[in-house]
Amino acid sequence: MNAAIQLEKLTKIYKGIRAVDEMSLTVEAGTVVALLGPNGAGKTTAISMILGLQEPTSGKVKLLGGDPRDQKIRNRIGAMLQEVSVIDNLKVSETIDLFRHYYANPLALEQLLLISGLQGEKDKMATALSGGQQRRLGFALAAAGDPEVIFLDEPTVGMDVASRQLFWDTVRAMATRGKTVVLTTHYLEEADNLADRIVVINHGKVIADGTPSEIKANTTGRVISFTAGAAVTTESLQALPGVTDVEWNGKRVKLFSPNTDSLIAALVQQRIDMRDIEIQSGGLEDAFQALVQSANG
Amino acid sequence: MNTTMKATMAQCKAELLRTLRNKRFVFFSVIMPVAFFFLFTSTMDNRKIGNVDWSAYYLMSMTVYGVIGASLTSFAQRISKERSQGWIRLLRITPLPASSYIFSKLATQGFINLFIILNMFIVGGLGKHINLPAAAWLESGLWIWIGGFSFMSLGVLLGSMRNPDAVQVITLIVYMGLSILGGLWFPTTSMSSTMQTIAKFTPTYRLGQGAWNVIGGSAIDWSGVGILAAYVIVFMLLSSYIMKRQEAV
Repeated sequence: MNAAIQLEKLTKIYKGIRAVDEMSLTVEAGTVVALLGPNGAGKTTAISMILGLQEPTSGKVKLLGGDPRDQKIRNRIGAMLQEVSVIDNLKVSETIDLFRHYYANPLALEQLLLISGLQGEKDKMATALSGGQQRRLGFALAAAGDPEVIFLDEPTVGMDVASRQLFWDTVRAMATRGKTVVLTTHYLEEADNLADRIVVINHGKVIADGTPSEIKANTTGRVISFTAGAAVTTESLQALPGVTDVEWNGKRVKLFSPNTDSLIAALVQQRIDMRDIEIQSGGLEDAFQALVQSANG
Repeated sequence: MNTTMKATMAQCKAELLRTLRNKRFVFFSVIMPVAFFFLFTSTMDNRKIGNVDWSAYYLMSMTVYGVIGASLTSFAQRISKERSQGWIRLLRITPLPASSYIFSKLATQGFINLFIILNMFIVGGLGKHINLPAAAWLESGLWIWIGGFSFMSLGVLLGSMRNPDAVQVITLIVYMGLSILGGLWFPTTSMSSTMQTIAKFTPTYRLGQGAWNVIGGSAIDWSGVGILAAYVIVFMLLSSYIMKRQEAV
């Protein structure tokens, strides 16, 4: 396997705080990885070090097998950073064209306008764009050099629903072309939708790492809910195999379990008085909350 | 052409477009010096400053004023915007080498300053029928062009401020203040002796002085060159100190 990114005990200490704490991580080429975590978890600091924008306090970074500050490596990457606005007195198409000239094998201007959905705005001054449109321009700049590895730091903040959809489609298309995509997000839906792999980060450490379904299964698992008959008690439900939690809402009850298949069989077998049964997969939102809380505790 | 050269050319083109589209640049470096030149040579005609005709003297003053304005109003503003908007951070991850970035800033400013000098010399020289030997035109133009680069260091210093609104206001105050103190608006000979002493320490006066000396037939004052160079060193040290401190945060 080809590693796009290798981190070895990467650490960054800022004013006595360990923003990134001995993070070791390998990202295979051609995968879409989401770094997920609350604000201040260390996602952006980790990305800054991978890109060579910040010097690690200790530990090692390898990007495409080399040093991120090497011009040859930079020619093969692209990034959309946070808190980067647009430059004054240049039109959208001029800004994209400027970036195309930095790279050896750029994508065509028309294609970049298409994937960022900015064809209608190409002759506008970049500073006249809305916040969401400026983020899309940032994406076009990140993709300008047809990068092998693209970093997207909170890419869809400020984008409307339609822009976000177009953006997701483009990222998926990049993944099918074998590109490595690293994105940070706190939109869980985004991570769930796009990523092959989710790395959950809190307090500068990796607290969970796996496919979206693994992350979900290992935490809250799934939920069975039904309207319970009068005879059903919390005690009888908690006695069932694999039940991790019981939640009541009037006569409606929710059972949490990592394995709902055997739980439903047990419920039927014990002739529990149930109506309107529903089985749901626990959302990533719940999984994420559970992870962060358990790491805090 | 290899990629770095293409990137550098594209960078120069973008810098030039940004400058020409900047209304402040057009006002302070193109319109205002021409307007001031015609206004003050029409109202105060037939005077001499030393052995130099007033109109030739004031043409040099206004050319220097325009060149300095390009470094202070538009160049400083571009630097400040690039820094405050994270643009420099983004450029650091592109293959564009830092040397290409710096070269394109210098080359563009050189081109723009040359344009201002030619514009003033042609419009003013023809408009007021100024008669100078060819060597004087060439030497004064070259002096202003080469000396004009020194004001890029003050532009970088002013541009190191993070707040673009503050940059605009402070730059304007510094620009107007130094231009008036340095005798670019009104010659130092019309000032009190205290003001004349102060003027001799301004970089604006020193850039003007070289040009005034050349057209007056005297040599370039090397102590003036020394003072201008000292300013460049101080401005560069100050701005690199400020930028390092900002980066440490």
